[in-house]
Amino acid sequence: MRTLLIGIDGATFHVIDSLIDQGIMPFLGEFCRRGTRSTLRTIIPALTPPAWTSLMTGRPPGHHGVFDFFRLESPESRQIRFATSHDVGCETIWSLASRHGKRVFTLNFPLMYPAPEINGCVIPGWVPWKLLRFACYPSNLFDRLKEVSGLNPRELAMDIKLEEKATEGCRDDEYDDWIRLHIRREENWLRAFRYLMDQEPFDFGAILFDGVDKLQHLCWRFIDPDLAGNLNDWEKRIRDLCLDYFRRLDQILEELCQYVDSDGQTYIASDHGFGPTQDLFHINTWLEKNRYLKWADTGSGGHDTQPALLGVGQVARHTYLMDWDKTRAFATTPTSNGVYLVAEKEDRNGSRYASLLSQIREGLLDVRDTAGERVVTEVWSRDEIFSGPFENLAPDLTLVLRDGGLVSILRSDQILSKRPNVAGAHRPEGIFLAQGKGIRENTRLNERSILDIAPLVLHSLGLDIPSDLEGEVPVGLFGEQWLQSHPVKMGGTTVAQESRQQSEPVMNQEEEEAVMERLRELGYIE
Amino acid sequence: MNKSREEILKDVLNLLEQLAQDWDYQATVNEGTRIFGDLGFESLDAVVLGTAIQEHYKQQMPFAGLLAEIGQREVRDLSVAELVDFIHSHLDRQGIS
Repeated sequence: MRTLLIGIDGATFHVIDSLIDQGIMPFLGEFCRRGTRSTLRTIIPALTPPAWTSLMTGRPPGHHGVFDFFRLESPESRQIRFATSHDVGCETIWSLASRHGKRVFTLNFPLMYPAPEINGCVIPGWVPWKLLRFACYPSNLFDRLKEVSGLNPRELAMDIKLEEKATEGCRDDEYDDWIRLHIRREENWLRAFRYLMDQEPFDFGAILFDGVDKLQHLCWRFIDPDLAGNLNDWEKRIRDLCLDYFRRLDQILEELCQYVDSDGQTYIASDHGFGPTQDLFHINTWLEKNRYLKWADTGSGGHDTQPALLGVGQVARHTYLMDWDKTRAFATTPTSNGVYLVAEKEDRNGSRYASLLSQIREGLLDVRDTAGERVVTEVWSRDEIFSGPFENLAPDLTLVLRDGGLVSILRSDQILSKRPNVAGAHRPEGIFLAQGKGIRENTRLNERSILDIAPLVLHSLGLDIPSDLEGEVPVGLFGEQWLQSHPVKMGGTTVAQESRQQSEPVMNQEEEEAVMERLRELGYIE
Repeated sequence: MNKSREEILKDVLNLLEQLAQDWDYQATVNEGTRIFGDLGFESLDAVVLGTAIQEHYKQQMPFAGLLAEIGQREVRDLSVAELVDFIHSHLDRQGIS
């Protein structure tokens, strides 16, 4: 294989360097010594779906159109649905490489379902295991994978009930099984990778491991080297299990790299970094107390009684929980840290919209804890961070909390509270590592952008860099001799996939409200 | 191009039987099989099944509306026959692109 791209969701040098120093990830330590590393700054917001989509398209969210795991049905709709590959408005590096005759496979990347028809193989990530059979490309790939010794497709793909535990927490007696599942899942992805490589030669392979993100969300207090002292016996056992996960991941990385040609290159990247979080900022409660939001009378006192902290499993409840005659702003998912304003299309360029936007932004920036410290550090309007053809699908405001955490969309008595334990939350600083022919050894580069990965991969494959990509090949990565014989060549543009937005069925507001009520009754949105 | 209800039923049974072989589902899938109660679907599974069906027919269909209709029932479930009727009515209305 000429080029291998390994994604490690949520990897941060803060943890990785500590694990290398402790001898838990010796291969990664050697990889750093024999290659080049840098911090990799992600896009705003530092969230998995838009960040990986930016990595694989080389474009920011306003251009590729992915802002969250969910998206609005239409710019004026209050309804949301799961985002799919059809919502990715830009060409991916796997499609682009395929178009130039390269043989490609991509494993476990989000927003790849339904799988695009590339010159190679696709196993999408974030797909329910029950439907993985129809998610793979080509269509016979799933049956072939089932025959692979030791490969369990059920543990390869997503089980939504288990995924939710990462951010909402789980019982103490569930940690053990939950961590072991992630070890087995990464081993399953290794088997899928190994199978494909044994079948035929590929020019470009990409594989994503998402267990690091999941473990760090739930187990940050055991993993963070700054927090992992003074643990009781149970906590030490959970920490040891987490370390087993990283130890096994290191072995898997070592095996993957053995498949790269002697004149090939391996790149490792994360979509964002990680750090501690304990704040719970109840955004919809703040909006209510500031008269931007009115809860509907639900007959139950309206307060959330479930043990959830953020409301990951309760997205879209806003459609029936809020009084839409009196609500002017709302948050619908915890995973976007976004606030939507209720405004008609024709109002969006008017002074009332601008005034409301400005009032809410200023109010959010003035939210303070009991010590008088600010809780919200940044608030961006969508034209500031999502400029592009898909801007109108983005939240009107996107905020950053002081500890990098996600907002809670649940109704609460308090605007601000605390999690029972320190958890992990995303940070903008991810990791980038490179090793292979022409790449400098034992070198550290200044911070790079996640948008640089797409052009770098294309360069590694010997392809011209499309002029509409926003990142650039980090030439400091390479030795001078290599660059002379492999100069960066610009040429052409990407080919956007045909948008299907216009062909989607459109419902009126009454129909939408009826739909969301029924979805709630079915348990889909609650 | 158009499809009869019988042809759609055959397509859907074929699709579900292929999936069911991966789930350790022992019974035969037929028109009376319930998607949630018998096949053990979670809500997200149903959403992705809707996407798979739309991919198969290369046509968008209002699956959210279908789920809404189900929610009005005493027994909130969907039989294979009802799923087939839903697809049939929408393919009839819009044709296959």
